Amino acid sequence: MKQKRLRYKLLALLLFLLFALLAVYGTRSVLTYGNRWFSFSRNPRVRAQKEQVIAGDILDRDGTVLAHTDSAGARQYHPDAAVRSALVHVLGDGHGQIANGVETFQTSYLYGFQASLPELVFGLFSGQPRTGDTVQLTVSAPLSAAVAAAFEAHPQTAGKRGAAVVMNWRTGAIAALVSLPSFDPCDISDAVQADAGKPFWNRATQAKYPPGSTFKTVTAAAALRCLPQAEEIRIDCTTDVLDFGSHVISDYGGSAHGRVGLRSGYLLSCNKLFANVALNVGAERLRAEAERFGFNDNFLFRDLVVENSVYPTGALSDYELAACGFGQSAIAATPLHMCMLAAGVANGGVMMEPRLLQSVTAAGGGSRLSFSSAPYRTCLEPGIAAVLQEYMRGVVAEGTGKRAAVDGLTVCGKTGTADSTENGAALSYGWFIGYAADEDCPYAVAVLVEGLDAGVSGGSSAAPIAADVFRWLRDHR
Amino acid sequence: MRRDERRARSREAGRRLCWAVMLFYFLAFLLLALRDMAWQGFALAAAVPAMIWLGTNLLPRLYPGDRLLLSLTNFLCALGVLVHYDTNPAYAYSQAVNYGIGLGVMVFCVWAVRLIRDWDWAMWPLTLGSLALLALPLLFGRETYGAKNWIYLGGVSFQSSEFVKLSLILSLAWLMSRRRALRWLAFTVACLGLLMLQKDLGTALLYFGTALLMNFAANGSLLQLGLGLSGGAGAALMGYRMFAHVKRRVAIWRNPWADYENAGYQLVQGLMAIASGGLFGVGIGLGSPTTIPVYHTDFIFAVICEQFGLIFGLCVLAVFVALIWRGATIAMAARSAFHGLLAIGCTLMLGLQTFVIIGGVIKLIPLTGVTMPFVSYGGSSLLSSMCLVGFIQGVASLNEDDLREDTRIAMAVEVGEP
Repeated sequence: MKQKRLRYKLLALLLFLLFALLAVYGTRSVLTYGNRWFSFSRNPRVRAQKEQVIAGDILDRDGTVLAHTDSAGARQYHPDAAVRSALVHVLGDGHGQIANGVETFQTSYLYGFQASLPELVFGLFSGQPRTGDTVQLTVSAPLSAAVAAAFEAHPQTAGKRGAAVVMNWRTGAIAALVSLPSFDPCDISDAVQADAGKPFWNRATQAKYPPGSTFKTVTAAAALRCLPQAEEIRIDCTTDVLDFGSHVISDYGGSAHGRVGLRSGYLLSCNKLFANVALNVGAERLRAEAERFGFNDNFLFRDLVVENSVYPTGALSDYELAACGFGQSAIAATPLHMCMLAAGVANGGVMMEPRLLQSVTAAGGGSRLSFSSAPYRTCLEPGIAAVLQEYMRGVVAEGTGKRAAVDGLTVCGKTGTADSTENGAALSYGWFIGYAADEDCPYAVAVLVEGLDAGVSGGSSAAPIAADVFRWLRDHR
Repeated sequence: MRRDERRARSREAGRRLCWAVMLFYFLAFLLLALRDMAWQGFALAAAVPAMIWLGTNLLPRLYPGDRLLLSLTNFLCALGVLVHYDTNPAYAYSQAVNYGIGLGVMVFCVWAVRLIRDWDWAMWPLTLGSLALLALPLLFGRETYGAKNWIYLGGVSFQSSEFVKLSLILSLAWLMSRRRALRWLAFTVACLGLLMLQKDLGTALLYFGTALLMNFAANGSLLQLGLGLSGGAGAALMGYRMFAHVKRRVAIWRNPWADYENAGYQLVQGLMAIASGGLFGVGIGLGSPTTIPVYHTDFIFAVICEQFGLIFGLCVLAVFVALIWRGATIAMAARSAFHGLLAIGCTLMLGLQTFVIIGGVIKLIPLTGVTMPFVSYGGSSLLSSMCLVGFIQGVASLNEDDLREDTRIAMAVEVGEP
């Protein structure tokens, strides 16, 4: 009898456990994915609310109005077409063509879903149509326009597809996020929709690219962490041959760097050295290092929807592992993630969560949300971060990233030129990730250029754009 | 003495709770009635609290029973009527009628459990009748939502598996307590086979889980439990390999957003509804829960979450947890093996069913179309859930009788001995 009672108790406990699982899973899902589910463009509730509520304004960090609903109920954007186009991927286009722009992702604020009970009651009796919250972003409108203009200013990158992200490495606040080609939200013509360049695609957050040599930052971090004599490694890039039977590893443009170590290899972006380092570090530890930087993580940032970055998880052949060492193989990351990576090094090894909302203010004036920074994860110990900072400083001072140097700022960074194929045709990408180490200008930058012309590298395409951005930041600090 | 005091106090608390629940529903229906200005709304505002009062206060006068279990049951039934009135009034009227009938059926079940102490005579008719009932939809049924599990007879339609559920638990409890393993095993396997033929996998899962756990309750064999579980896992894997619709269900569960316009539409709409409700809900009468396909049966929990919020949804879960706790306590206090198994079987069925449907709606497990006990729209489902509670109540009333008998004897002994 006693045993039977124990069994009944056990069964009840089992059911309780199942219900606890329901409660925990349900609560967790709603708290982490709630806004993503709610702001999904097909949510019929949003469509219904749009007919009753005047959408709130969207401001940039200086208070410039980026989007506003006029008295006729039409959505008006910034008067300058260049600013409108540069910001279109951040804001969204109001037609739902761009996924997860502020106009859709912040629906719950802009359309007043967060209104409190007193506000609702007051709205009911005032007889006026209700207005949504004003959303102030961390982006700067003139900076965004300057970033887009920088692409056009250089012959290597004019008219090319690409993306650039500028974020404060200390707080994670996004100062600019530009994807090219862009378009004017006031004029979505059929021509834009038919454009093969896919202008609706946010290349900074939704597109994943092989990071190429910028990934050497991760490989170098792994070497510094795992190999006791990492800084004493030497290979002769000119004479040593890395032959994997079907593939031979060569350097960009077939160049040779002579005898190189970890630092000089990083500065000169020597593929052979980092292939060697990757083989020494081993597949497991290199993957662990990549995952420390956020690869293979499910990005659930509060203000931004970002594609997850990929580092290969299956078994790797020696050639594949060697290629991972310099960011080829199946590694893929978004420009935003690469910007976070540079920002993490700048911030002494703490990656900050990228934030886009500066503040949210109710139509009546009450504050609903104000900016708070939060660490995303710690990727490096301060000691290793300091070594990488010195390397990145060297890249701009004397290595492949000289064209990113700017007077008056301590620019640090890493260039990259990655190869891949699109529809069978070879396509190469130019990268620059870096930051200004100055305390009064704490910005990290990632620039990606798609489809480089022959003979153009990341150092000669993306780095000059980064220089323009740093110059703007220097002049407006 | 102290025990009596505690009882009196808990009865007082129960009474207050009952009045609070009645007030809640009165106000809620009044609000909706004022919105619609329809006499049906006002009628429900009077009728539902009245039914709650009758359900919680009148029944204990007929038989001794568990008041808390009654209150919880009535709360859930009334919640169903309320949500249906908000989303589709026509459903609410018939649900309210079924609620009333359900109360009567519950009394009948209590009476049956009290009266019939020997179920031996009923085993053959029950098992064979059940199998015939399960086979009927295969012959005369129509396919709805991919499963052929409804019987249509002269304008009346019902889901036979809902009623077979009762006879399953009754006969399992009886046969297990009499250690007739072969017969109950054969009956269960036959039921599962017929449900598979109906493609009603959710119900099959419930039957299987209940039978397995009841067997553990009866003999405590971990070996048999493990064997059953691995057998079930094997069958599930085989089902996944063999049936395209199982594969589709699993694919939808893993990523409903991949095809949100078609395959994943229902689940995505449900998730959006839950997310729209947030913590505190959009409020009764607001929101647009009716955009979820089959919002009134499978997805009623998403509707509740949208209107009343996640916190209220968690409270509904807590109500079910309390219900399970009462069921298990009553089973533990039962004096005979049969009655203990009957009470724990009914509790397991209700608990598992709630878990399976809510887990499906919040995307914890693949969605299988079973109803949420007491709340979902549907006469078959509501009546069978009321019967399950009736069985538990019957066992509770027998326990109470035994306890009174004990006290009487103890007092007699005390008096007899100076």
